[in-house]
Amino acid sequence: MITLSSYLAISFLLFVCGIAVMIARKNIIAILLGVELILNSCAINFVAYTRFVNNNLDGHIMSLFIIIIAAAEAAVGLAIVIRFFQIRESIHIDDATQLLQ
Amino acid sequence: MEYTLGSILPILLGPFLAFVVNIFIVKKWTKLGVFLSCFGMFVSLFYSFRIFKDFVFGKYSTGYYVHKVFPWFDLKAAGVSNFAVDMGIYLDNMSAVMLFMVAGCAFLIHIFSTYYMAGDARYGRFFVYLSLFTTGMLGLVLSDNLLSVFIFWELMGFCSYSLIGFYYEKEGAGNASMKAFMTTRIGDVFFLVGILAIWTTVGSVRFVDIYAAIADGSFNGLYAVGLPLATFAALSVFMGTIGKSAQFPLQVWLPDAMWGPTPCSALIHAATMVAAGVYLSLRMYPLMELGGITTFIAYIGAITAFGAATIALVQTDIKAVLAYSTISQLGYMVLGIGVGAYNAAFMHLITHAVFKACLFLAAGSVIHSLHDHHTHGHVQEMPRMGGLRKKMPLTFIAMLCCTFAIAGFPLFSGFVSKDRILGDALVMATQSKAYWIPAFLGFTAALLTAFYMFRMMFLTFFGEPRDKDLYDHTHVEKLSWNRNLPLLILTVFTLGGWYSGHFFGGWVKIPGVEHKEWFATLIEKPRVENFKAYKSLPFGSVDTGADRVFEESQFNPDKYFTEKEAHHVHLVHAIGAWASIAIALAGWFIAFMMYSRGAWNPGRWVNAFSGWYRALQNKYYFDDLYVKGILQKGLLPFNNLLSRFDMGVFDRYAVDGWEAVNRFFYRIAKWVDDVIVDSVGVDGTGASVRFFNVILRTFQNGKIQFYFIIFLVVMVGYIWKLV
Repeated sequence: MITLSSYLAISFLLFVCGIAVMIARKNIIAILLGVELILNSCAINFVAYTRFVNNNLDGHIMSLFIIIIAAAEAAVGLAIVIRFFQIRESIHIDDATQLLQ
Repeated sequence: MEYTLGSILPILLGPFLAFVVNIFIVKKWTKLGVFLSCFGMFVSLFYSFRIFKDFVFGKYSTGYYVHKVFPWFDLKAAGVSNFAVDMGIYLDNMSAVMLFMVAGCAFLIHIFSTYYMAGDARYGRFFVYLSLFTTGMLGLVLSDNLLSVFIFWELMGFCSYSLIGFYYEKEGAGNASMKAFMTTRIGDVFFLVGILAIWTTVGSVRFVDIYAAIADGSFNGLYAVGLPLATFAALSVFMGTIGKSAQFPLQVWLPDAMWGPTPCSALIHAATMVAAGVYLSLRMYPLMELGGITTFIAYIGAITAFGAATIALVQTDIKAVLAYSTISQLGYMVLGIGVGAYNAAFMHLITHAVFKACLFLAAGSVIHSLHDHHTHGHVQEMPRMGGLRKKMPLTFIAMLCCTFAIAGFPLFSGFVSKDRILGDALVMATQSKAYWIPAFLGFTAALLTAFYMFRMMFLTFFGEPRDKDLYDHTHVEKLSWNRNLPLLILTVFTLGGWYSGHFFGGWVKIPGVEHKEWFATLIEKPRVENFKAYKSLPFGSVDTGADRVFEESQFNPDKYFTEKEAHHVHLVHAIGAWASIAIALAGWFIAFMMYSRGAWNPGRWVNAFSGWYRALQNKYYFDDLYVKGILQKGLLPFNNLLSRFDMGVFDRYAVDGWEAVNRFFYRIAKWVDDVIVDSVGVDGTGASVRFFNVILRTFQNGKIQFYFIIFLVVMVGYIWKLV
């Protein structure tokens, strides 16, 4: 039967995938994808907890918020990536070293 | 007259400020500097004349003094409660007369020097020394204590050194200056010992305190090195006189002092240097009397007077004759102190200063005119002179008057003063057998004095010129104010009347003539009882003379003697006076027969007494004794011993050993420096910076994913901790 821990397991799997993508990939767009995965794992957590613990709609509303914020964040992130590409002609994460200097 | 500082100090400050300013300007503005020196002397003369006038022409007062004191240093702050030294000014009759004499002679010598030294390469420098020299003597006369006397005493010692060695490019002058300095130094060491002896007893070195201590009997029952303390102190102080006033056996320096320019000889021989010694003995007379060394002093004086007079007989250098006559006359002064002729000794100091200054200036005038055009030097040898009176009549007259004075002819000053000393010596001889020898030597020296002075006169000014070539090149004396005026003034003051009040000396009484002798009235032995209740004034105070002590003349022999004794004294003095006149005439007669008439041949005397003649020419071998005996046999081996000790022990062990110690510490210090300071301190700082730099650089590598990993690790660790 499907219990809370099943949902949490999927959510954890998604979170670890996102972390792995963020750390391992050098492509900025891939890293953004990783961020989206983490956000989604959070949204699953919210929905699962509100279904099995509170049994009301607070978690669903929070999930909707997360989807909206994720969309906005993706838009901003992609815009940054485009500007970055225009300046550096690369979307490699190691080229973003201006703040270091 | 009010005795403020402003009326006393200019005496000292005149020449001293001239000296200080001249140090800086005299090389560039020589004329201005010379003028300043003379002007400073004039200021000094003016103020000392005011004091002289007040003391002497005032009331013929005695027993009056001005004493102003300021504390010099006090060791109370350093924890020594009884060590405070005061300095001050002490003026009494004697210092007033002395000041006027010193300032007057020095002023005239300054003036003459502008003639004599003009054109010299170091014309200006001469005046610098001259001013300082006079400052020293004036300061000594103004001093109220032995310590400041000693300071000025040494100042004069230095100045005489510089002036005697003024022509330092001549070897003889350099040696003479060293000789003068070292010889007087022997006396000075004893003098300092005497000062210390007095200090330990009295607790002060002021004259007035010493007098008071003598009156209180503080010296009684104290002994030092087996002698009564008073005798010890008096002997030590008198040794200072022996050195400074060129008494036997330290007389060797004064003849060599003529290496200096002639005006400086005049200053040394007359007004300043040698007078200081006699002046000190006069000041310390009560101590000498208490110490019971007056007989000793009389013998020293008589031996000096006689010995120097005999040496002067054979000198051919005009300045050497004068130098030995100075020693001889100083011997008279010391003899006078020894026989208790206090005011006669002081009077002879003054009269001698005047005629000896005049003699030296006249000799300078002669020497300056005699120019040898072969060697381009000045001539001092009397055998090359002769007949000079036609060439320089004014100098001749001055020198003749001075010769009359020093030979003791009536009417002249030397007769007045020397006769009194001899008279007193004779009186002492009638009272005590021990004084026969000094009295006899004194009279014999008077005969010799008359002889050698007239010998000098005849050889220099009379007869035919012996060096025709030199004579023809001598210019006829042209009148010039700075050459003839000082001579003239000094000549006027060689007359005896200035000093005795009339022209026959005090002791030759003329019936119906009122005797009024300022000199004998003013100068008296310090009466120590008067100083028991003594108060000195603060330095800046004004002394109006309101509490001036007027006393009857204390130099009235009738007051101390019974009528019979007084008659005896008068008789002896009268005999002495007539004997002096006879002796002076005899001396003149012998010289006249030998050197003017040529009737007696001096060469026969030389042959007859050839051994004595050689001894006299070698100054009784005193120089040889000192140089070959004491210096070469005694001091030189001692010096070598010391130098060997210095090289062998001190240098070898102390100095080189110290080097080893230093080397050891150097190694330790080097190790500490290399290891601790350099390696750990300096290099260690760099290394630690580099180390932390490596660590921190690893973390801040600009890779965003690395930051993220760290962030995750920290977060996980944090949560781990929470759970």
